[in-house]
Amino acid sequence: MQRFLFPALVGLAVLAIWWGAYAAGMFPVGTVPSPVEVALAFKSELASGRLVDDTIASLYRVAWGFVTAVLAAVPLGLVVGRHAGTRAALLPWINFFRSLSPIAWIPFAIIWFGIGDLPAIFILFIATFFQVVLATAAAAAAVPRVYYRVAEELGLRGHHVLFQITLPAILPQLVTALRVAIGVAWMVVVAAEMIAVRSGLGFLIVDARNGLRMDLVVCGMITIGGIGIVLDILFSRLSRIRSLRWGFEQ
Amino acid sequence: MTAVLELKGVGFDYGALSVIDSLDLTVAKNELVVCVGPSGCGKSTLLSLLGGHLAPMRGTIDRRGQSRTIYQAGGLFPWLTVRQNIARGLPEKLAGSAQASKVGEWLEIMRLADFGDHYPHQLSGGMRQRVEIARALAAETDILLMDEPFSALDYQSRNRMRRELVATLVERPRAVVFVTHDIEEAVQIADRVVVLGTRPANVRRVLELPPGRSRSPATPGVAEAEQAIMDELGMS
Repeated sequence: MQRFLFPALVGLAVLAIWWGAYAAGMFPVGTVPSPVEVALAFKSELASGRLVDDTIASLYRVAWGFVTAVLAAVPLGLVVGRHAGTRAALLPWINFFRSLSPIAWIPFAIIWFGIGDLPAIFILFIATFFQVVLATAAAAAAVPRVYYRVAEELGLRGHHVLFQITLPAILPQLVTALRVAIGVAWMVVVAAEMIAVRSGLGFLIVDARNGLRMDLVVCGMITIGGIGIVLDILFSRLSRIRSLRWGFEQ
Repeated sequence: MTAVLELKGVGFDYGALSVIDSLDLTVAKNELVVCVGPSGCGKSTLLSLLGGHLAPMRGTIDRRGQSRTIYQAGGLFPWLTVRQNIARGLPEKLAGSAQASKVGEWLEIMRLADFGDHYPHQLSGGMRQRVEIARALAAETDILLMDEPFSALDYQSRNRMRRELVATLVERPRAVVFVTHDIEEAVQIADRVVVLGTRPANVRRVLELPPGRSRSPATPGVAEAEQAIMDELGMS
């Protein structure tokens, strides 16, 4: 009850304040749209199919950037986490690149990949890759040594140790890292789509701003926030998997 | 008597720190040897050497047979259920149905029949140690190494677990090297107590205990053995 009722009440209160302030003429003309204008913008964008198309375009880029980054980052993170020499050599550089805002890569993204989906996917890859490498490495380095001792006694060798010990041991932390990473990727998609593409929720916002359509800007913002919550809920569901519960209940 | 473990002049250093020096020890088949010594005297290093996880820097270790270790910190895989953890201990060649019945048997022996599908974090400390013991014994190796396995348990659970271990070993005998800093524990269950000195660890004294592994403080010889160990460790 509290999970839904309280947030709904806060939402209604914000809506009421917004509406009241607008009706009282507190915002200069053209700076903040009214809730009604935003609702009408939603209606027309949904009717034209543009909002759905832009959402799909953004999700498509996030999916590509996120999935390719995770596929590359997890193996590298495992090596960095389990191999002290590699860790010493690479960790400062991974930290260096993680500290760089993905937005800083925009000039390179355009020069290297031109226009279209690729530069945006590249930015999303960068946004995900370094944080997942770091989280995987930290988790892999922290796997209790006793598990490897037991594995040795049980006769596990080579890739069996990787798949039967290291990976299951780091999964709960990896799930948490992925949940954070998808949030960042979704946040960055708006910036990534402000360059070199003509679709997506980021483009919708830039395009609306160019046309001084603040109602559309807010419509895009609400959609991005809503999908962000849905993505977070979906990833948080992963922590309910039975064989992962130990990592969240201990 | 056949020896399953034979250490001659074993030494091990961590850098400049000599942890074990000139250690001689023989463990016979199905014997229960308890090593006692003060905290930090190198008991865990000794077990790592006995288990083959570390190689001695000096001397030789002759191990005849395979070993399994039960760790103080808990070596159960938290992502596997009790049933799956025990199954991991079984010899690989066992077919599916034979494996399931073996696991079922161990769940019964360890009074865990209702907890086969639980995960380790859902169990009490004592139950977790019972799963560890089941997994280690299920392997049917010749040697069982135990690193202060009951030290994290409360007093009553610790006593109960000692009795259960001794009872299980009657049915399924094997050589056990049990390290502990608990003198009372040592004299209750051991066939032989090996008193280790402070770093670098070597054998200060060996005490033979009267037959029968579930001793009480009133058992003849127990109080004397306890006193002798305390004297040896300078605790009296």
